[in-house]
Amino acid sequence: MAESRLETVDMFINMGPQHPSTHGVFRMVLTIDGEQIVDMKPHIGYLHRGVEKLAEGLRYREVTVLLDRTDYLAALNNELPYVMALEKLLDVKVPERAEYIRVLVCELNRIASHLMFYGAFGADAGATTPFMYAFRDREEIQHFFEAVTGGRLMHNYFRVGGVRYDLPEDWRERLTKLIPHLRKGIVDCERLLSDNEIFLNRTIGVGQISAADAIDYGLTGPNLRACGVRLDLRRDQPYSVYPKLEFDVPTRSRGDCYDRYLLRVEEMRQSLRIVEQCLEQMPDGPSLGEVPRVIRPKEGEVYVGTENPRGEYGIYLVSRGGDYPYRVKVRAPSFCNLMALNEMMRGCYIADCVLILGSIDIVLGEVDR
Amino acid sequence: MPEWVESIIRVAIAIGFVLTTVLVLIWLERKVIGHIQQRLGPMRTGFHGFLQSPADAVKLLVKEDIIPAAADRWAFQLAPALVFVPIFLTVVSIPFTRTLVVRNLDLGLFYVFAISSISIVGIVMAGWASGNKYALLGSVRAGAQMVSYEIPLVFSILGVAMVAGSLNLETIVDAQRGLWYIVLQPVGMFIFLVASLAELNRTPFDIPVAESEVVGGPYVEYSGIRWGVFFLSEYANTFIISALAAVVFLAGWRGPLLPGWLWFLIKTYAIILIIFWFRATLPRLRIDQLMTFAWKLLLPLAFVNLLITGLYLVYDWPRWILFVASVAVLAVASRLVYVVGRA
Amino acid sequence: MLGMLKGLMTTMQSHFRKPVTIQYPDERPDLPPRYAGFPGLIWDANVGEPFCTGCQVCARFCPTQCIYVTMKDNPKVGDGTSKRRKIVDEFELNVSCCTQCAVCVEVCNFDAIEMTHTFEMASYSREQVMNLQDMLSMKEKGGP
Repeated sequence: MAESRLETVDMFINMGPQHPSTHGVFRMVLTIDGEQIVDMKPHIGYLHRGVEKLAEGLRYREVTVLLDRTDYLAALNNELPYVMALEKLLDVKVPERAEYIRVLVCELNRIASHLMFYGAFGADAGATTPFMYAFRDREEIQHFFEAVTGGRLMHNYFRVGGVRYDLPEDWRERLTKLIPHLRKGIVDCERLLSDNEIFLNRTIGVGQISAADAIDYGLTGPNLRACGVRLDLRRDQPYSVYPKLEFDVPTRSRGDCYDRYLLRVEEMRQSLRIVEQCLEQMPDGPSLGEVPRVIRPKEGEVYVGTENPRGEYGIYLVSRGGDYPYRVKVRAPSFCNLMALNEMMRGCYIADCVLILGSIDIVLGEVDR
Repeated sequence: MPEWVESIIRVAIAIGFVLTTVLVLIWLERKVIGHIQQRLGPMRTGFHGFLQSPADAVKLLVKEDIIPAAADRWAFQLAPALVFVPIFLTVVSIPFTRTLVVRNLDLGLFYVFAISSISIVGIVMAGWASGNKYALLGSVRAGAQMVSYEIPLVFSILGVAMVAGSLNLETIVDAQRGLWYIVLQPVGMFIFLVASLAELNRTPFDIPVAESEVVGGPYVEYSGIRWGVFFLSEYANTFIISALAAVVFLAGWRGPLLPGWLWFLIKTYAIILIIFWFRATLPRLRIDQLMTFAWKLLLPLAFVNLLITGLYLVYDWPRWILFVASVAVLAVASRLVYVVGRA
Repeated sequence: MLGMLKGLMTTMQSHFRKPVTIQYPDERPDLPPRYAGFPGLIWDANVGEPFCTGCQVCARFCPTQCIYVTMKDNPKVGDGTSKRRKIVDEFELNVSCCTQCAVCVEVCNFDAIEMTHTFEMASYSREQVMNLQDMLSMKEKGGP
């Protein structure tokens, strides 16, 4: 810029904790030069409830209730690593039907979570309708969950050695109705945004991060795969019945907002494929295995990581005997993904900053725990 | 009846009409967007929520009017009026039919644009006086955007003025006997619609008030009826711009069978519905893209349009050449955007 | 332009589809049998008393400790109408902190508690929230 005699100063602006597009109570202190961001300092902890510490005061059976409330958009996906960890400690066999039920509801929950991302991302970009489309379809998934688990968001469904209830009698009808509905919904979502020139202009090349940086920052999940790293724990550290199911792990190459968006839309399709296979292959049998009435695992420690909609959700469980866990450490994907925020945001516009935060798809309940 | 009494009555009727229209528009927008999103929109007050906007207006009236401590008191209080008044002044010269007009001015077109530009000052003032950084950002955005888009807006309408040979809105409508100017001036119509969307701060150009970025922009600190006035003037402006487009490009009250005022309303509401439809579909541009769009695309396009119209007038070409040339310009322009955008 | 037109067509199509929302207080949501609202005790119609014996296992296992139960001697044991020696005296549920997790249902040894379909808990004051348990009238089970 030419020599200017006008003296300019950078302005600080507080985005959040009460801001419509910080996805909860996240606070960013932005240093801005006009519309451009010079520096960004994230502040987290506004939703800290001490889940990990609270878990130490609860019996093993009750901890799932808390873990539901970390990543509240994908509650079932959080319960999974915990019950798997506990099963490892207790040496409990899980019946196959239970495993299939788990995968089925987890994948549905993944779709619900990604739909939520889609809606919020559209709203961040300034379109009003994507949010409503996403909620229309998510509502159907939640109806299914209501019938299966009794809850809409907080399910408390997985148990050591299986699931709490077997599927309801009419689950096949419900699911066969749900799948085409979702398939159509995803098409709607795609047609609304994926090719829209304004949307492309807003997202392509925005918030780019290279694969090497992404690995250094410890990104996982869709954010990492959008950079071209094909890492999906469902495929690379297979657990449950995922090896028996057929699905692709989509990747993109650029690692910008648009890739992260498109990747999630594609993942919804893959999840739907898994759900369909579960519907076909669902075996008969018990839904809850042989489990001791009192859960009192032997001394030991175990880490289990599973693929959450946001990345690797890990539970590190330490037992010193007794009724209560000694330590429940949560490896929260949103928390780790958030670390790359500063890298992505440097030099972008205020409007982009909202989009980038949206594209990382954080859930504050899980970041702060 | 003395003439001044009659003028006052005419103005009062016009303002009353616009106020009612605004209430209808707010209801209509909520219903249309609701149905697009597979919801029902307001349903509780009156038939299909028809009384929702009066109820909202009453709510806004009884709400506490908060002036923030950091605000510049006088500017803060004056700003809504500064936005509100010019918009209502423009109603004066818009002809609903040949007789249904408060005052037909010889420079009608010029008058409308000259007056409506003033409201920018009010918005910038509101943002500045709020003493809020988001409001400031919003008003800076508003200033940049609305001043830039004023230029293509005016240029787009110049072509019509050239073809019609007048700035008098009534003459312009009369000149469209047989052939609407949307045929002769498609480029002008396109630029006018796009630029007026930006002028109205509506999606996809709602950057100054962007809810997800600057939380309502200049209006963030306003509450109660002061905010209501901004809201009202936004919708009044939507109506006026649509009415203007109907008059200038769609031949106003001209049409077969139905009475003139009905034709006028049908055309106006058609344009309004298109604006609502855009609102429900499109995401928002970024401020730099917005400025690029105005200065690098709309303005050159407007110049080309003027050039072609001038050639048409000077060499007395037949009308279809103007139509074909305009469509060709539009096609080339959109192709160019596509190619440049991809690169 | 084409992508935008595609989006516009999509919204236009959905404009003519049937709305998916319901008019809530007039139309009631269709709740599946497993729907977990607030927990409530079940009434044994054969004997004319609740199934609950006041054993407090639910109160102990409740993650938010929102259940308060006391036990008393069952007056009906004397005349032989009931086999339960102990019976619930008071059962209080703090509705404002119940998270509807259904742990109480799971741990109950007598199947005396279940998740009701009560979900409307909006009220004007904290006291009213505490009183909401009046709404959770006991559901009858069994009977002649």
